[in-house]
Amino acid sequence: MFAEREGGAGGLGGGAGGAGGAGGAGGAQPPTGAARMGSSEEDKGLVAKSLAGDRDAFGVLVERYAQQARRVARAVLGDPDDADDAAQDGFLSALVKLAQYDTRRPFGPWLMRIVANAATDRRRRRNVRQAEPLDPALVGGGPRPDAVAIRNELGARLQTALGELSERRRMAVVLFDVEGYSHAEIAGILGIPEGTVRSEVFHARRRLRTLLADWKEQAR
Amino acid sequence: MRDTQPFDHRPDPELSAALRAALEPKDDQKAFVARVMALYEGALDRSTVPTLDVLASWFRPGIAAAVAALIIGFLFGRTVLTPAPASIDAAMAPLEGQGLAALVTAQDPPDASVVFASLVDQR
Repeated sequence: MFAEREGGAGGLGGGAGGAGGAGGAGGAQPPTGAARMGSSEEDKGLVAKSLAGDRDAFGVLVERYAQQARRVARAVLGDPDDADDAAQDGFLSALVKLAQYDTRRPFGPWLMRIVANAATDRRRRRNVRQAEPLDPALVGGGPRPDAVAIRNELGARLQTALGELSERRRMAVVLFDVEGYSHAEIAGILGIPEGTVRSEVFHARRRLRTLLADWKEQAR
Repeated sequence: MRDTQPFDHRPDPELSAALRAALEPKDDQKAFVARVMALYEGALDRSTVPTLDVLASWFRPGIAAAVAALIIGFLFGRTVLTPAPASIDAAMAPLEGQGLAALVTAQDPPDASVVFASLVDQR
């Protein structure tokens, strides 16, 4: 489990509790703008409406963050169905705890923290090994000439590689490289120091880049 | 893809795209959203149940369990604390009273006063 649970007011705890600003204090900018949608005023308006009992407003939040939550949960759990269950738990938990959300901070990291904890809880309940590569047979493994098969094979390899990383490391790299959160925001989500996030992202990237390079070499 | 530099955290679009493709849910997002929203009311209902109501729901079973535990504890304690008879003869001795023998061997059901008398005899 990550160092701090989502229950506290304001959500983001740990060393990055005040990391609401885009980019954080470390200067490293997130590689994509995916997470930035979570800091919009619109999110805060939707949260306020949800708190007032507006079901549709919460539905918009779910739509907005569904894919991100599912990816983050999948980074923890590996299995897509389990990941969806965990993402669902995360959204419902967020709904219940919505009054605890500090609107001075971006919504995305707060929500992702809840989703990540839901996924971790589910993994522990399931008592699954840490390394949990997806069965290549399920994703169309095996050399086939079409592009889909090639992409599936790369996906399977990446998932295998992700499964070999520690949970914290793969969470860090997915939150940084896929979801676009800053180091400071990831520190808040995972409840670890920002320097540790930097280290985790670096080591995860190195491993994944090596795998990508090998795969490209073989594909030639 | 760039070379790996120590703690180089500049964007790596190729790695990002590959990871995203590997983790991206394959199905329609709408189904997932509908699934979450189907549980919306239930989640709110569960969250609004006051703590006292939860405690109250456990009150009767709790009292029953406590009473049962007390009875079991009492019986167990009495069994442990009562000294065992030294021999089978000593154990059977109370049955040798005349009143009890008469009670056991009678053809007709005993009168309540006879039962009482046999008990008094044993004392």
